[in-house]
Amino acid sequence: MSVEASISCREVVELLSDYLDGALPEPERVRVDEHVAGCDGCTLVLDELRETIRLTGMLTVEHLNDAQRATLLDAFRDWKTG
Amino acid sequence: MSLPRTTTDDLALAERLRAGDETAFMMLVDELGPSMRRVARMYVSTDAVADEVVQEAWLGVVKGLGGFEGRSTLRTWIFRILVNTAKTRGQRERRSVPFSSLAGDDLDSPSFDPAMFVSSGDSEGAWSTLPFDWRGMPEERAEATETLHVVEGAIATLPPMQAEVIRLRDVLGWSSEEVRNALDISETNQRVLLHRARAKVRGALERYYRGESEGMP
Repeated sequence: MSVEASISCREVVELLSDYLDGALPEPERVRVDEHVAGCDGCTLVLDELRETIRLTGMLTVEHLNDAQRATLLDAFRDWKTG
Repeated sequence: MSLPRTTTDDLALAERLRAGDETAFMMLVDELGPSMRRVARMYVSTDAVADEVVQEAWLGVVKGLGGFEGRSTLRTWIFRILVNTAKTRGQRERRSVPFSSLAGDDLDSPSFDPAMFVSSGDSEGAWSTLPFDWRGMPEERAEATETLHVVEGAIATLPPMQAEVIRLRDVLGWSSEEVRNALDISETNQRVLLHRARAKVRGALERYYRGESEGMP
């Protein structure tokens, strides 16, 4: 790995979200991979970010209340009957 | 988390809506309703006006269904109608909302405190202080209602566009393409907003776990 190809921890942490989404271009992904493999701090942040995404995915999906649903359904019926 | 639908599913769903199928309509209302209200609210002045915008948008949806060809997902298409309706209404209210007030003014600043990194010398940019390590938290602790409240609370304090991007992506499981089309933002903005949002939620979890480990409430 050449010196100019390496990136610092400060830069790596800003790329981790895209890294987890598979949204990094190949050369950048490889650099993050190589960096993380040898860096405890960035590995920690990567693991925590992954867990953050998992926990966010566990949030309950909210719904509208009954009155709000009823209003929209009424509007839909109005449209239907023209 | 709702599953991404295929084009065939979406076209069938659109057809059911056109035929006046109330179950299909309410299915979409339940999936999209809260997000639509929040997104409308970004562009108009009150909750009441946002509700009107949502109704107007649904009307636009059912009237315009003939024009849906499955080139985007149905939910994305619905959101585009919503966003356009909301922006038009906002203009009529003479309410101009700068993008930065929706997206947050912190998009260009680092998501980690610069003080955590070495500021000069050969190791410039390397960690000087490691973030608090909350890995290895037992699953029942991590998934406890209280922890999920921390996540929810952190999302609620985000600038509206950051909050919506993380909700659509990580709570509802939409793809990045759907989210950027739905919210009418660039791919770069979508990525930056999501990154900021995730970093802040991670930070909130870190503070929560560290507070607990130090015996603080």
